[in-house]
Amino acid sequence: MVAHRPRVLIAEDDPDTLVILRVNLNAAGIEPMLAGDGHTALERIQAESPDAVLLDVLLPGIDGWQVLEELHATGNRVPVIMCSGKNNVHDLQRARELGAVAYLVKPFDIDRLIEVTSEVVGLRTTDVAAEPGTAADTELA
Amino acid sequence: MRNHRQSEPDRLRRDARVAGLRDFQTPSLEAVEQRRRQLWQRTATALALIAALVVTFAIIPSNRLAAPGTGRILFVIVALGGGLFLWAFHKETALERLTRSLTDERVLTAALTNRLHEVSLLLDAGKQINAHLQMDELLDTILRNACELLDATGGSVMLVEETDLVTVCALGRDAAVGQRMRLGEGVAGYVAIRRDPVLIDGHADPELFPGLVLREPYVESAMSVPLVHRAELQGVLNLNAPIGRSFTEYDLRALAVFSEQAALAIANARLYEAERAHVAALLDLRTRREAG
Repeated sequence: MVAHRPRVLIAEDDPDTLVILRVNLNAAGIEPMLAGDGHTALERIQAESPDAVLLDVLLPGIDGWQVLEELHATGNRVPVIMCSGKNNVHDLQRARELGAVAYLVKPFDIDRLIEVTSEVVGLRTTDVAAEPGTAADTELA
Repeated sequence: MRNHRQSEPDRLRRDARVAGLRDFQTPSLEAVEQRRRQLWQRTATALALIAALVVTFAIIPSNRLAAPGTGRILFVIVALGGGLFLWAFHKETALERLTRSLTDERVLTAALTNRLHEVSLLLDAGKQINAHLQMDELLDTILRNACELLDATGGSVMLVEETDLVTVCALGRDAAVGQRMRLGEGVAGYVAIRRDPVLIDGHADPELFPGLVLREPYVESAMSVPLVHRAELQGVLNLNAPIGRSFTEYDLRALAVFSEQAALAIANARLYEAERAHVAALLDLRTRREAG
């Protein structure tokens, strides 16, 4: 019997990070889908309706913010976990306003990323609490 | 449950076998699409035949339908149709998985190709920059390469002179050359003090950038990066986007990487200038001694 595995789109331009995330998500029972730029990410979200999106801010073509804005504007409610190298309140606020469910600051701990992703797709029910006093590693919803 | 730890090539081969792609040595999305078309053409033909048989039975006079075994044949035909549809659906599921896996492989290949292209562009730009030791030529090369690399219409290079930033090279706004601003003033001054790259999209906020002078023509999108070598600030590199295009965080990162090479080249050119001045001073001293 083929069990349903939640599908998560990884939108990331760095090939090393793509491979690392793919291997780790696969091992965690999540089916990864890949997108190396903003256009591909939008196309695959619309065509294949993943259960969640790991969205890097730095993407060629249209960046992560533009992808998030497009999803927000078109009313697409796919849960988005933003991944960024910046840890500032302004970006955190922007992600929240555009409907992202979590904001992870790079370089991220892979176990933490898996934990947050698993909860977002419903594989776990543990509470993903915000670390006090920091914008990093924060659940926004 | 499927084995999650199965390697990607193994999964591809397994799905290809299930989908009926037995000669799947070189996986391609085109081959999968061809197989999908073939599968549904054959299935549609077979289902049409089955439907024709069912219709034929329907129009046979009712007294002949009562013959022994007729109902069983009808049942077998309908069951065959159902089985055929399930078989096609099973193949389609494998083909879908194959399409997803092959799309992922294409994404990975494209990401690697893009990265190689970027590295190659940066290497080329680095080679061109490092071919110059004369400051004027170097600054011009830096600005032109940065504009080409990021498809910018213009920009400027500002160098640190004591507590000021001086525009020493400009593209698109030649009048800007020679302009001076204090460190901390405007966007470039902010970048120089914070040593953080800044991306401006739309109007820059005067509260964030004290001493900001709004320029004409108005620039919709711009980037400023510090030129830092061995913790020493050399200056600031500014780029302006063409009308209708906005720079992204991705462009900003590329410019930041480029600026590291530019800062190194500027530091080398400054050392070269200082060395030349030193040699000239020594030669002058020797000439004076010989004359005296």
